[in-house]
Amino acid sequence: MSAHAPSPPLPPPLDLSRWRSLPNRLIGIGAVGVLLGLVLNPLQFGYSWLTVFMFFLSLGLGALFLVMVHHLFDAGWSVPIRRFCEHLANLVFPWLLIFFLPIALLAPKLYGWMQVADPHADHALHAKLPLFTRPGFYLVAVLCFAIWTWLARRLRAASLAQDQDGAARHTLRMRRLSAGGIFLFALTLTLAAILWMKGLMYEWFSTMYGVYYFAGSVWMTLGTVYFITMVLKRTGTLAPVLHEHQFYFIGSLMFAFTVFYAYIHFSQYFIIWNANLPEETFWYVLREKGTWWYVGLVLIFGHFFLPFLAMLRIDLKLSFAWMTPLCAWTWVMHYVDMAFNVHPVLHPNGYPFHWAWLDLACAALMGGLLLRAFLKEFAAHPPYPVKDPRLSEAMGYVVVHPSPISGGDLDEVDELNGAVEPNGGTR
Amino acid sequence: MSESVSKVYGLIAEFETPAATMRAAEQLRDLGFQRWDVFSPYPVHGMDQAMGLKNSKVGWFSFIGGATGYTLGMVMIWWMNAADYPIVVGGKPFFSPFSAFPPSYELTILLGAFGALFGMLFLNRLPRLHHPLLKHRRFALASHDRFFIVIETADPKYQPEATRKLLESLGSTRVEPVEE
Repeated sequence: MSAHAPSPPLPPPLDLSRWRSLPNRLIGIGAVGVLLGLVLNPLQFGYSWLTVFMFFLSLGLGALFLVMVHHLFDAGWSVPIRRFCEHLANLVFPWLLIFFLPIALLAPKLYGWMQVADPHADHALHAKLPLFTRPGFYLVAVLCFAIWTWLARRLRAASLAQDQDGAARHTLRMRRLSAGGIFLFALTLTLAAILWMKGLMYEWFSTMYGVYYFAGSVWMTLGTVYFITMVLKRTGTLAPVLHEHQFYFIGSLMFAFTVFYAYIHFSQYFIIWNANLPEETFWYVLREKGTWWYVGLVLIFGHFFLPFLAMLRIDLKLSFAWMTPLCAWTWVMHYVDMAFNVHPVLHPNGYPFHWAWLDLACAALMGGLLLRAFLKEFAAHPPYPVKDPRLSEAMGYVVVHPSPISGGDLDEVDELNGAVEPNGGTR
Repeated sequence: MSESVSKVYGLIAEFETPAATMRAAEQLRDLGFQRWDVFSPYPVHGMDQAMGLKNSKVGWFSFIGGATGYTLGMVMIWWMNAADYPIVVGGKPFFSPFSAFPPSYELTILLGAFGALFGMLFLNRLPRLHHPLLKHRRFALASHDRFFIVIETADPKYQPEATRKLLESLGSTRVEPVEE
């Protein structure tokens, strides 16, 4: 009798062929909607596009973060899911950069501070010079995309090089890259969140804003990663290298980021609420008017309480039937969060339900293009780092090797090994 | 003390390897034994599954503790600041869930931790001053290099002779009764 419970017969692999036309259909429908929106109301289009752009930027940056954190913690469990995270991170260039172009073009209309005649007369703007100037805005955009692209490309290139020779030096190189990269990542993400989203109301300031965007981004990325991992397990692509603990760990991280996001957003609100300074409170006062009040409540209960309670139990984090709707829910809630940040600028009286279709059209177009790009990259490379030294660890196998801790001996390890040998009983 | 007077607590079976212990545990699990336990010098991965152990119930104690702490914090602050002795502070409302949140949250953690600690002790039936196994001379080896499976006589499936034979057939090198 084996040491592990007998595994049930594997279900037939998931057949995704009927979804094959999905990306093109999304692009088609989205393009029509986007063009219509652009004709009907270019300004509304700008804000809708920005909302959805920030939404999908979260996915690219969140995936980049997960890849870097994998290397920084020298993690073993996340090896099988790293490859598609690398592809997600590489969506930053060229696709997210292309999606940024409409924002770059429409920026003078979207961002109120670009319309201020004399920046020195407006203290809130004067204090933010030279960042809040047109050269500052565009230079930061170039810098952000350059750094993200460089990090994402280099990390994937080293990972793919390791697929060829399996040398440990690639792992070390990726770790060094991540060690420096995480600082650049934190700086650029904060700059991007401040300039592209917080800058919509330039009079406002919150030092937590970058972390706030980061927390929501990684949360939503983890929902996506859980879903992709589950699909790839069902299709059989990752099934040979996955273990139960991958789902448990992604679920735990998702749970942690549910709490982390709530903690950050609550702190931002609470500090402003408590200090009660008009130059800070106006941002939230605006978001308590009209239906924005209810959007805020949806964030409290939907972004935090519901996923928090849903993921509290260990076993539920492993149930696909339970987690799939929750993964979809992270997208809905992250969209609501982005809309809560962007839309009140143009619609101070409440969520613009009559323009929701334009947000959906932008999401369909960008989502379709990103999906197609992602699938193309995914198909072009091995689905997981096939020669990563830590792959067997991720698969749940014990690798016997003398380590500095064991003093070069293999003691006790071979005893444990007996536990998984089918007919080894006594020594 | 003669054997006829003393009550038997259970049977203790000694094993030399974790593999043999694990296989025996799987058999006992599949046979439907309820009141039995495994003792090993170090944690053996997969033993929980081999024994058919479910997830611990301690989580429920922490959850109830946490929920109590949160409610208690909110109600306490509301009672003190808004009901019993209202004072205006900084033009804020007498009671707001925002200002009451941090202390309530901390009470959540405190009572959640109490729930975990005391729930664990309650479920373990600790503290207790003595356990029949501690009298057994060879049981001390459980912290050295031997593995033990103990089946209590209180187990509904326990039969003095049959259970002893079963344990021997599972590869135990030594099966002995443990006195109460």
